Amino acid sequence: MSYALTIEPIGEVLEVEEGQTILDACLRAGIYIPYQCNHGLCSTCKVEVVEGDVDLGDASPFALMDFERDEGKALACVCTLQSDVVIEADIEEDEDAEYLAIKDYKGTVSEVVDLTPDVKKIIISLDEEVDFQAGQYIQLDIPAVDGPRAFSIANSPDNSDHIELHVRLVEGGQGTNYLHNELVVGDILSFSAPYGHFFVRKSQNKPMIFIAGGTGLSSPKSMIEELLKAGYGEKITLFHGVRAAADLYYQKYFEELAEKHENFSYIPALSEKKAGDDWGGEVGYVHEAAERYFDGSFAGHQAYLCGPPPMIEASIRALMKGRLFENDIYCEKFLSKADGGGDKRSPLFKRI
Amino acid sequence: MAEKRKKKLGIKQRYSMLTRGLGWDTTYQDMDKVFPYDNYEGIIIHDWEGWEDPFRLTMDAYWKFQSEKEKKLYAVIDSFAQNNGHLGITDARYVNALKLFLTGVSPLEYQAARGFTHVGRQFRGVGPRVACQMQAIDELRHVQTQIHSMSHYNKYFDGLHSAPHMHDRVWYLSVPKSFFDDARTAGPFEFLTSISFAFEYVLTNLLFVPFMSGAAFNGDMATVTFGFSAQSDEARHMTLGLEVIKFMLEQDERNIPIVQRWMDKWFWRGTRMLALVAMMMDYMLPKRVMSWREAWDIYFTEAGGALFADLARYGIKPPKYADIATKEAEHISHQAWHIFYNYTHAAAFHTWVPGKEELDWLSEKYPTTFDKYYRPRLEYLDKEEKAGRRFYNDTLPMLCQVCQIPMGFTDMDDPTTISFEVSEYNGDKYHTCSLGCKDIFDYEPAKYVQAWLPVHQIYQGNCGGAEVPDVLKWYNFNLGADNLEYNGSPDQKLWDEWQAHRKKA
Repeated sequence: MSYALTIEPIGEVLEVEEGQTILDACLRAGIYIPYQCNHGLCSTCKVEVVEGDVDLGDASPFALMDFERDEGKALACVCTLQSDVVIEADIEEDEDAEYLAIKDYKGTVSEVVDLTPDVKKIIISLDEEVDFQAGQYIQLDIPAVDGPRAFSIANSPDNSDHIELHVRLVEGGQGTNYLHNELVVGDILSFSAPYGHFFVRKSQNKPMIFIAGGTGLSSPKSMIEELLKAGYGEKITLFHGVRAAADLYYQKYFEELAEKHENFSYIPALSEKKAGDDWGGEVGYVHEAAERYFDGSFAGHQAYLCGPPPMIEASIRALMKGRLFENDIYCEKFLSKADGGGDKRSPLFKRI
Repeated sequence: MAEKRKKKLGIKQRYSMLTRGLGWDTTYQDMDKVFPYDNYEGIIIHDWEGWEDPFRLTMDAYWKFQSEKEKKLYAVIDSFAQNNGHLGITDARYVNALKLFLTGVSPLEYQAARGFTHVGRQFRGVGPRVACQMQAIDELRHVQTQIHSMSHYNKYFDGLHSAPHMHDRVWYLSVPKSFFDDARTAGPFEFLTSISFAFEYVLTNLLFVPFMSGAAFNGDMATVTFGFSAQSDEARHMTLGLEVIKFMLEQDERNIPIVQRWMDKWFWRGTRMLALVAMMMDYMLPKRVMSWREAWDIYFTEAGGALFADLARYGIKPPKYADIATKEAEHISHQAWHIFYNYTHAAAFHTWVPGKEELDWLSEKYPTTFDKYYRPRLEYLDKEEKAGRRFYNDTLPMLCQVCQIPMGFTDMDDPTTISFEVSEYNGDKYHTCSLGCKDIFDYEPAKYVQAWLPVHQIYQGNCGGAEVPDVLKWYNFNLGADNLEYNGSPDQKLWDEWQAHRKKA
């Protein structure tokens, strides 16, 4: 049994499992509600229940007063749902968020191409248009694999009669093994979309830095295509980090894009340049390439990071060292099923 | 999937509409003259608007919440008194933890109220000013409710009658007192780093959680209820601590080394003060919650580790000497208890040698150190006491110039050698207990040479007289009741009588 939870003021709707707390559901969906103790003691995560029935759980009588209970307040960290519920929470509205509804889609595989020795481009063609913001991802059902897998959409929303995915073969990964070894043109795939809060905050009109690692290029590709098409006026710089020259893809495409658009620059970097690589470009980790390019100073920019967790963490540190902080850093971590719950964090940062 | 709903004004926007225009820049006086203290520490602030106030609490709502909390708390305190709640605790020895709390910690709440009242005037930014003002009132509420919660025990047990007076005078209470004196006499940003960040955020779980779970485990519901009531304020305090750190670190990179130095200093001062909590956990609770070692591993090594891993993104390193503090977790409770066992004739609470089962518990919790270094000593003291030769140390100890703890702690790699450091300033020698305290002294010697060190003051004749009983009277002790060994104390006698009555009934 699950219930629908609507979160005001953003109007986002989540599915909440029986016994799952409101806070847990929100955090998992990438919606940050301020919280602290996570045990019903401190009252930081207080929300207002506007409609529906809830179980207030083990909220301390000092953290949630009687008069507040009468007024319909609840502590998100211990509150569970007993019907579909609408809450109002202390969430900052994001001007650029479109809060699109998630829908189920079915499409036909129309293209499977090798981009590198271990990355394939997969195109799923649709009879209808898919509503998504550039940077968001889909949850793809893979035949014979338990549970959906998340993949970022690599095409721009202007071109939404298909979905382009970049899939790297994960060693021992059931899902990616199927997509690499079994999937053929003409197969039918189903997925739901759009998910995630990784999209460009263009309303702030700041110069943008994109740092992508491996197939983390997919979201930035979608975002940059859309920005350039819409005539975004600020500078856009894309850094793409891969291991060796053989792992680099879309190099020519972005070089041509950079020639066409004066405000767009493209800097690929190889972290493990091979002896035979014909390469005159950046060598080293992608965040180091960004540091060199910007001379270690990032203040005034907006950064979008997409890729594996170590790349994200190294980039965050480089950006913060260069005086760019959480308010201007957005990231999408690529976790494979094997990465699990992740590391322990303090409440110092909300999103990054 | 449910339909999307129409957007409406968020809580943050409503709050900013409600409070707009309430802060302003002065016109006929220079802002630097109106707020003279918020820039002399070297902290550079470019934009006070960068301060995020996550609570958005109005004074009107604040009063409403706090008065509700009071109503609830006082209902519990009243029923605790009416039902003779003190009879439900595990053992009268537990009350000694309360004595330490009431004389050592509760007056700090008052000190915090004074500190936040001061800095609540000194920031030119509206956000931090309001946060500090509200916290000042919280702290006043905390000291008041703590005194009221524990006053019931004062009707029956010794040593609880003069907490504020004792806090200002008694030798071991100068440890927490000097911590706050140091913080309050620093600038406003250092004050928030010391109290809001180091104390309320990094170390709070090592202070309040042990006391409050200790109370819960030992049947003291009045204190537990106070704990819940205070904890609902602490979230605001902890958030202030995190916010001020982020604010300083993000405003200007020149702030980073200053913040790092304050973190190093206040982490070390904090861990020193926590030696009192360590011995409370391992020795004073008849029913134990967890060992100090375990508490340190959970709350500092794990939780603090996650925090400092995040702070590393700003270029902040874990506190200097954190490695030594972690080694100390294995020894400090035993060494601190031993100091108090030596000087309990001059303390307002009792000490004792733990019973056999309790010693076994300590052996189990400290398998590599307790049997080797501490158990034989306690068993020896126990034998002496049973033979009518209870040991009291009649000389006065040397105190550390910074933390003011008697210099009885050892080198952590060699627990049979006393650790001490020496600094010279203006031709005089000053002694500190550790490298951590020495660094603090050496950075600001002119501040720490002014320390009011209880032992020095006694020898200078400023504490009531030349003999120990004169000094204890000046402390307002009831001699023979408040002090000395627990076995044979009036507290024990009364408790045993109650237990005998209970058996009869």
